[in-house]
Amino acid sequence: MQLPLNPMQGVVLAAALMFGTAAYAHHGWSWTQDEFFELKGKIAAIYIGNPHATLDVDAQGEVWRVEMAPPARTIAAGFTEEVAKLGDAVTAIGHRSREEAEKRMKAVRIIVGGKRYDVYPDRLPPA
Amino acid sequence: MAEFLAGIEQLALARGLKASFVAYPIVNALHIMAVGALLTSVGLMDFSVLGAFRSLPHAPFVALLRRVALGAFGGAIITGALLFSVKASTYAAMPIFVVKITLILLAGANFLAFTRLTRTSGVAESAGGIAAVLAVISLGLWTCVLFAGRFIGFL
Repeated sequence: MQLPLNPMQGVVLAAALMFGTAAYAHHGWSWTQDEFFELKGKIAAIYIGNPHATLDVDAQGEVWRVEMAPPARTIAAGFTEEVAKLGDAVTAIGHRSREEAEKRMKAVRIIVGGKRYDVYPDRLPPA
Repeated sequence: MAEFLAGIEQLALARGLKASFVAYPIVNALHIMAVGALLTSVGLMDFSVLGAFRSLPHAPFVALLRRVALGAFGGAIITGALLFSVKASTYAAMPIFVVKITLILLAGANFLAFTRLTRTSGVAESAGGIAAVLAVISLGLWTCVLFAGRFIGFL
């Protein structure tokens, strides 16, 4: 029997095709820059839920996606849908994407209404 | 379409799953379990079409694996739909999600083509080269479905 590819070659080719399209990841911190980054703006959307809690932040007309911790951890830090509303001024401290063009960051601390919510307390910038 | 997807997110089940710290990870784990069982059973059937496991009685081997595969596929559909419902509009807008669904449809078409082929020509071995090509396509497609699915969480 003549095959264009044997099964193992098929699997390897399929894997190569899929991995070749993966530019970055939002799990973990590998996709973010090492330096700290601060974003100030107004809350455009709040999502506290599975699989990740996120904020959309309007910074001078540019809408950024701010990722926080998984919902259990974000709520444990005190940040719930009740503590912030659309239009509130917000400061997000964390790390932005290595892709400079990408308006996306992962926050370790969120400041709303003068209150700090440390969603990744073990990763805060040195005080 | 946008309203329909937003409607899915408003279902009591979707809202409950979005907020639950227990149910969501469990559904997530069950989806992984179903996908693992599906890929294992499909892979074993494909390899058997390609000539592996000759020492095993073919008919009961395939009958068992096909039952496992269909059950696992049903479980993956149910758990996958639940995971999708939490952020339906977000996922539907992701190219990698559309790629995954397309790959599943292609794998389904490949399965139907294979059952047609073996129905007309009897057992898989006598179907010859075409059956083997379909088995390789099946292996490739399901592996890509797995990778595409995992990348939904990373893009």
